[in-house]
Amino acid sequence: MTESPAAQAGATHPSVEALREAFGDTVTRATVSCGDTIVYVDASRIRDVLAWLKDTPGQDYNYLVDITAVEYRDVERPIEVVYNLLSLERKQPLRVKAELPKDGPLEIDSVVVLWRGANWLEREVYDMFGIRFRDHPDLRRILMWETYAEGYPLRKSFPLRGRFSRSEQMRQALNANPEAHYSMEELSIAEAYHNIPADMRDRLARGERAKIPEPPSETGGE
Amino acid sequence: MGLASTPTSGPAAEPAVVSAVSPNWVTTRLDFLVNWARSNSMWPMPFGTACCAIEFMATAASRYDIARFGMERMSFSPRQADVLLCAGRLPFKLAPVIRRIYDQMPQPKWVISMGACASTGGIFDNYAMVQGIDTVVPVDVYVPGCPPRPEGLLYGILLLQKKVRGETLADRSIRVEQTLDERGLRLPPERIDEISEPFGNSVHQTRSA
Ligand code: SF4
Repeated sequence: MTESPAAQAGATHPSVEALREAFGDTVTRATVSCGDTIVYVDASRIRDVLAWLKDTPGQDYNYLVDITAVEYRDVERPIEVVYNLLSLERKQPLRVKAELPKDGPLEIDSVVVLWRGANWLEREVYDMFGIRFRDHPDLRRILMWETYAEGYPLRKSFPLRGRFSRSEQMRQALNANPEAHYSMEELSIAEAYHNIPADMRDRLARGERAKIPEPPSETGGE
Repeated sequence: MGLASTPTSGPAAEPAVVSAVSPNWVTTRLDFLVNWARSNSMWPMPFGTACCAIEFMATAASRYDIARFGMERMSFSPRQADVLLCAGRLPFKLAPVIRRIYDQMPQPKWVISMGACASTGGIFDNYAMVQGIDTVVPVDVYVPGCPPRPEGLLYGILLLQKKVRGETLADRSIRVEQTLDERGLRLPPERIDEISEPFGNSVHQTRSA
């Protein structure tokens, strides 16, 4: 990530200039990498910046392509939350990054109010990196099962094979209830609510969540 | 190609002494008939989770055509299936699912583990992947390869048929339902840890491990 003169020149992307005008110091820096413009903004104002980019005429970044995060091997470097935006009308992409220092709380504002599609994207980032999204309506794990207790797999401190022994991982997996991963709203059978078996309806209505039983003896545990 | 051993009783046994104890002439003839029928009309339950499933589809399609071996009827309901064919890698999240499918299959039932991932975890020696489906369900035939060529899978199927033809009604133990223990495991924890040990190239995977 060296900022070559060419990259600096590319940072005169019209949206970057407009952002600098509107937000001043909130825009910390901007670079160009492989032809894509990247704007770094202050994490505390991320929602304002993205709302502005989405709704301001002339910007119209109305499509949130993806939210992801990056942790670098360099332990000093902060974790970055990455927002890939696209203006469907202008066919212009823009990448916005917010840095979260590792010694602070890994928290950032949710953008679900701007794009409903951000819901699952933020859940995935939470699941893999442990970054909490403030005001997210339903911040649960999405890829790993809800009772997954080993940590956040894409963090650099996470051992490749997980923290638990294979037998403990297997025990937790086999004791999981595969139906308990979903809420009623997520299920395509939501409209068939009254036709599903009574016990399942009951579980879904209570919003029952999976629970891993304790191992019967001390040898079964971690 | 691995083939778990079973007691063999040759159908070639001629009517020698009709003894009161099994196996005798009647049971071996009956075995022959039953096993002939079973081995030539196995309905697979395809549990295709990854790229191996594509190769399984190729095996089922006209060029390789597993219909030649009595398997053309894919059974997408476990209740009508004879063979659970796990084609692809199995994440921990799917372990209770494949176990439930296996439990729903009526006896007699067999399992083919297709590909390196299903058999050993393959290249995915990581936090999410079951290191061999034999830690979840008992496996009859392991088909190696990444993915196995259709010929490889067909050879595995032929091996399974051979195994089925070696079964005998006199041995009730091979049809006993194998349930999970009180911990919810199929094997003792030490066995699972041992089976899941890294091997081959993955012992060098030490990055932040
Ligand atoms: S063995 Fe190879 S082809 Fe089969 S599921 Fe694994 S990676 Fe895919």
